Amino acid sequence: MLDIGIGFSFEENSFLAAEEAIKQAKAQLINSGKIDLCLLFNSFDFSAAGVSRGLNALLRDVPVIGASGPAIISHKGIFKHGITVMLLGFPDGAYCRVAATRGIGEKNPFACGKELGENLLSGFKNIPRNLGLLFFDQQIEGGPNFVSGLQETLGKGFPCIGTSLSNQYDTSHSCLYLNDEALDNSCAGILWGGKTSFGVGIKHGWKPLGKPHTVTSAVGNIINAIDGKPAIEIYEDYLAYDAAKLTKDLRKLSVSYPIGIFVPGEKEYLLRNVVSTEYRGALVCQGSIPEGSTVRLMISTPETCLAAAAQAIEDAKNNLSASLLRQSSARNSRFAIVFSSISRYNLLRRDIKKELNIIKEGLKDTVFLGIYSSGELAPLTATSHHGQIYFHNQDFSVLIIEG
Amino acid sequence: MFELNTVLAFLGLLGVIVLTFLLLSKQTRISGMGESINNLQRALDEMDEQAKLVVRTDIELNKAQEELDRKISSLYALQKLSRTISSTLEENQIFKKIELNFLDELGFQKALAFLYDEQEKKFSLRLALGYEEDETAKIKAFIESRKETYHDLILTEKAVSSIASREKLFDAPKTKEVFGVISFVFAPILTKEGDPGLLFVGAEKQDTVITEGDEELITILANQVGQALENARLFEKTWQAHQDLENRVEERTRELSKALEEVRKLSQRKNDFVSNVSHELRTPLTSIKGYASILLSGKLGALPEEVAKRLTKINKHSDELVQFVNDLLDLSRIESGKVELKLAPLNLKSVIDEVADLLAVQFKEKQIEFSSESPADLPEVMADYSQIKRTFINLINNSIKYTPQGKIIVRLVLAGKEIQADVQDTGCGMPESAMDKLFTEFYRVDSAMNQEIKGTGLGLAMVKNIVNAHKGKIWVTSKVGAGTTFSFTLPLAY
Repeated sequence: MLDIGIGFSFEENSFLAAEEAIKQAKAQLINSGKIDLCLLFNSFDFSAAGVSRGLNALLRDVPVIGASGPAIISHKGIFKHGITVMLLGFPDGAYCRVAATRGIGEKNPFACGKELGENLLSGFKNIPRNLGLLFFDQQIEGGPNFVSGLQETLGKGFPCIGTSLSNQYDTSHSCLYLNDEALDNSCAGILWGGKTSFGVGIKHGWKPLGKPHTVTSAVGNIINAIDGKPAIEIYEDYLAYDAAKLTKDLRKLSVSYPIGIFVPGEKEYLLRNVVSTEYRGALVCQGSIPEGSTVRLMISTPETCLAAAAQAIEDAKNNLSASLLRQSSARNSRFAIVFSSISRYNLLRRDIKKELNIIKEGLKDTVFLGIYSSGELAPLTATSHHGQIYFHNQDFSVLIIEG
Repeated sequence: MFELNTVLAFLGLLGVIVLTFLLLSKQTRISGMGESINNLQRALDEMDEQAKLVVRTDIELNKAQEELDRKISSLYALQKLSRTISSTLEENQIFKKIELNFLDELGFQKALAFLYDEQEKKFSLRLALGYEEDETAKIKAFIESRKETYHDLILTEKAVSSIASREKLFDAPKTKEVFGVISFVFAPILTKEGDPGLLFVGAEKQDTVITEGDEELITILANQVGQALENARLFEKTWQAHQDLENRVEERTRELSKALEEVRKLSQRKNDFVSNVSHELRTPLTSIKGYASILLSGKLGALPEEVAKRLTKINKHSDELVQFVNDLLDLSRIESGKVELKLAPLNLKSVIDEVADLLAVQFKEKQIEFSSESPADLPEVMADYSQIKRTFINLINNSIKYTPQGKIIVRLVLAGKEIQADVQDTGCGMPESAMDKLFTEFYRVDSAMNQEIKGTGLGLAMVKNIVNAHKGKIWVTSKVGAGTTFSFTLPLAY
């Protein structure tokens, strides 16, 4: 059975905050002498060096993985200043390995993914591997390629989910934690294996609006033309904004009205936020859009957003149940990791507490920790792991792990 | 053969007719479907137009909701900040209470506060949030180089911001550049007294939109700061005045204590002098009185009538002088605390009766009607019998002296935890101006009647000292021609 302890701190001083959270988590463990993994999330305003010192002081030789983000999610609330730590003691037959690949901004995403896969696999021989969880400290334009590289090593269709923690709305800088180091321009990952079961759920809650359009020209994450016209015209037309005003406001507006890509066989459209405009009315998106895609303008309400969060949790629980049927039925304990897009935070505003209540109600007694992110990598339909990983915007995703 | 050809031709014709019919039917259907497609396309276009309306309405609703949310959050933040600022009465602490988290809740990331010294005509920085030291120094220099402009801004008593429509009123682009922000609000810190100032808040996020609501909000915050500064200054002023007053009271108390000590020393010296002189006088007086008595007794031979008459006068005046000296000595003793009161429960009514017996001859001589009134169950007082008797003798004697004919009434009443004794006469009374000094030693009311009535001016002074020694109070009420009432109190025995 997983031994789980969770701690939290609002302390101003980064070192003291890490220390306080770890002490709280340790106190909840059945066997504080056997800690196999430390998961950590903190808000951007903490000093990475201070947090690392706190980790080193109290968790020498314990594998650590974590990240900083715009806000953290915990049982106590959603906070722009705070640190949360989860300590895990694994049961016999459960394993994990943490590793990182550095300099991802300059390298080929596929090669980076492959390198991370090799790092994760080292020391994981003859152990069945179940899931990869990835943390990026920057926008992952080539995220799917990165995962393809990872899958090249871990196996085609190997289930992976990931999150990008760069701060797209201000200059605050994200960082990742791996063991005793604070990293940047990196991807840190964790490979789970052995007797552990997983359930993943991912939903956004945006609905298509208006008639379908076709992307007639696109390269990577840049849409040049829709229906043969400059891409920006879709926004000019629907929003009744002129080009100058759109150039200024589009980044913010596209959080509420992203572009949705129709993916055959999927219930939800794949969302793309627009981060900027380019020459001749091209739209630069957060994530790639294939030429020829059918796209629509998307809209949501706080209610549909919140309903999607509830659905994602239900999906994760159902997937976990399905997974458990294949595993032993021994009495286990479970925990959850929640990733919610910072766009949702900005959109829900004062209703953000409702999202937390949905998490609490949905997960009930399951201990959880979470972080707001700027994008997620996950299979589009959680119930059908065909191995194809997509980059998501504005999603709410939950990973439940039981062991 | 012919028949077969005819049949075939007929069948061919029939086929052509059927095909034509089918074609026409297909064409009609295609035409119908085209219309349906057109209808669908039109419906789709209409739906798309409706979708545009939905999006535009949603944008407006979102904007309103966002503004409302921001205002609510800002008002919460403002309320918290106001409460925090108001909790201090120290000018320097007011600015320290404005912290980054409050600012963030208001939707800003940077803040500066300057106070303008009206005398030195200089801005001084009191708050810097979200800036490094070198950035602050640069901004200070910028403000100093344009101090007239910023001072004028204070005088307008209105906020200035980076709202696009108002940019011309202020050098907004330059301000944004120097202050390192995307949008900003300046609001004057106004105070009724003392230095005014300027509050600056700025946002560095690209998507921050400053509204008139923000101007109002920051103006309210600046007003709160101004109010807090005013309160702090007023408190400082009041505290300073209080300190000055306390110092002065302390100084005055020291002076008075010194003067009181001097008075005590003088009084002691006076008492010592009176005591010494009285003793010195009493010895020769005793001899004079003794010799006069011997001569008057005739033991040394018969005296001529005129000599005897003079000797009698010497004897009488010697008695008076002895009485005077005794009074002086008693007064001096009581004042200096040398007389130890023999306190015991005392029935005042019986004391009054004794005094009335003692003075009965004098009442008769002056045809004065004496009476006393007291409740039957009057409790006893804690007093020295001989001193209280002396008090009543003095007061009643005094009334006899100034009452040519009439009534003297002594009343005893219970007054709380004391008994009040009133000695009332129907005598000549006295002017109000005399009453203040009446209990002063050697004081005698300046009146024609007093020229004829003998007195030393020591009796009432002694009465006052006796009453005071009993922790009682004494006072007088009088009206010229209507009589006088002396009242005093004595504590109850139980």
